[in-house]
Amino acid sequence: MNEAFVSVRSVSKTYRRDSAPVSALREVSFEIEKGGFVRLSGPSGSGKSTLLNLVAGLDRPDQGEVLVAGIDVGRLSGSRASNYRAEKVGMVFQSYNLIPQLTAVENVLLPMIALGRANQGRARELLDLVGLADRSDHNPSQLSGGEQQRVAIARALANDPALVLADEPTGNLDDQSAQRVMELLTSAVRERGRTLLLVTHERDAAQTADKCLELRGGVVTSVRE
Amino acid sequence: MIWVKLAFGGFGRRFVEALAAAIVLAATSATVAGSLMVVEGARNTLGRAIRQDRPDIIEVKSRFNRALFETPRSGNLPPLTIPVYEPLIDPTELEKAAGDNQVVKRQSLFRNVVSGDSFLNIYIFGIDPDVERGLSSFSLARGRFLRAEDRAAAVIDQASAQALGVNVGGTFPVRKADGTDLQLTVVGILDGLELRGAPPRSAEAPSLRPDSTFVSSGAFVNIQTSEDIFGRESLTDALLIARSASDVPALVAKLQEAFRLEPGIFVTERYGQYQRKVRDFVLTLALFSAVSIATALLAGSFASNLLHDIYVERRRQYATLMALGFPPAMGIGPAVIFGLVLGLAAATFGGLAARIFVPRTFAMPSLMADLGPTKPTIDWVVVCSVVAIAIAAMSVGLASTMARLLREPIAATLSEASP
Repeated sequence: MNEAFVSVRSVSKTYRRDSAPVSALREVSFEIEKGGFVRLSGPSGSGKSTLLNLVAGLDRPDQGEVLVAGIDVGRLSGSRASNYRAEKVGMVFQSYNLIPQLTAVENVLLPMIALGRANQGRARELLDLVGLADRSDHNPSQLSGGEQQRVAIARALANDPALVLADEPTGNLDDQSAQRVMELLTSAVRERGRTLLLVTHERDAAQTADKCLELRGGVVTSVRE
Repeated sequence: MIWVKLAFGGFGRRFVEALAAAIVLAATSATVAGSLMVVEGARNTLGRAIRQDRPDIIEVKSRFNRALFETPRSGNLPPLTIPVYEPLIDPTELEKAAGDNQVVKRQSLFRNVVSGDSFLNIYIFGIDPDVERGLSSFSLARGRFLRAEDRAAAVIDQASAQALGVNVGGTFPVRKADGTDLQLTVVGILDGLELRGAPPRSAEAPSLRPDSTFVSSGAFVNIQTSEDIFGRESLTDALLIARSASDVPALVAKLQEAFRLEPGIFVTERYGQYQRKVRDFVLTLALFSAVSIATALLAGSFASNLLHDIYVERRRQYATLMALGFPPAMGIGPAVIFGLVLGLAAATFGGLAARIFVPRTFAMPSLMADLGPTKPTIDWVVVCSVVAIAIAAMSVGLASTMARLLREPIAATLSEASP
């Protein structure tokens, strides 16, 4: 059995909404092997995005621990967490989160700038990989939703991270664009032997995933290897 | 280029608000800079007045007596009425009354110096060279100034030296009290002097400033030499330097008490008049300072509010940078760069406008007018104040965004809907 690359152990997270506590995650535990592909699904409000944010170091768990490559992500300070995200993690957001005043290639360059390794040639290669070589100098507003998400995928791969986290990357796309984005994401990550944690409702992804987790009410209700 | 775009690009409709914030900050800077320039100019005027007036100095003078006269040694000369201060001040009594405040002793003499078949009236001042140099102004043309250890040495003004026909190293005779002559050696020639509390000019004598109503020339010797000439230690006049100007009224009262039995001694101070000027000055400064502070607060808070709206709209962008791995300082870097450039540009324009449009001179009301017109001055205080206002406006505008980004989880900011 391979060593766990991502290890989520008894993680709980509670938010306050209108001063009432809302339990987003309760005692969630699972592991992802290095190079593995895990699909995370569940209804809205089940805690999928919260779990992804905890693994990305964008939030801290109230209880439990999140270990990525042996790093306790929940205990990282601000600058160490930034370094962890820049080196180890590539993020793809549902709403793309591209910087609107930058061109596609400049958006792809951002994670490299964070590490002080800006390489425009590599950024263009990544855009070529996602089929946007001819759109690299366009601003996000000049791209379709699918194209913007492909730029976001190129940006997530910019520093060749060991872990790619994608939060409903096809949630805002039409079926055709969604299928292309999903194929691109899974193939790009798998070809590089990287670990992928994908939050999605796409049923097709279940066929290619190594493991499928289902969250309901902040609890893992189903695991399928 | 990316950083420039991150800081300044993509404002959209918020560009108008950024422009409005810049204009408001520039107008604030101009008003504040203008007011502070007047305040600084007034402070300089007051500083000059303090240096000139020296409210901490008390003058103690003997009666000015026109009855004394001295007869020239030789020659067919008319009798003279020579005005001098009478040496009525007992130095021991003065030092006792002065306590630990500094006493500057003086002896003013008036002598006829015989030169060939004519004579010359000349004022001779016995002074403490080390202390007097800090109180009065002496400009040496040649030679050196007096030293405490000098004996029978004199520093003489150019007009008197010319009239006496002496130069550095030359000598001239001065009649002593015992009737013998003392040869004074000239060690320095003055081309300018302003003796603080100089006696009135009442007899013809060579003068560096012919129009002056006070003595503007003379021979200066140290106090030991003047005691040799005078034949006594009692002083004709003296200055008392109070440790602080506020001690002056109490010190004057002590001096008046000490010399109450000697009606020929007069104690004068400038502190009272100075205080009235200062009160007037403080009121004027308070007015301009109040204008500055009110403008800075009102307009600064308005500009901060505009900047706050801009920052809130871009908050998600800064959070995205941090989510992509930018360290917190780099993540909010574009916000800080934007605020600083906008604020400093506005401060620069405002400061330049103030420099151009504030009048060159500014007449202060009432008693301050005695000090002459105030010249509005731009200095580091003005520059730093204007820059501080710009930075403060930027900081206040950025505060909530920065707190949100640094204290709250990035995920919370990313999940915010765009405003």
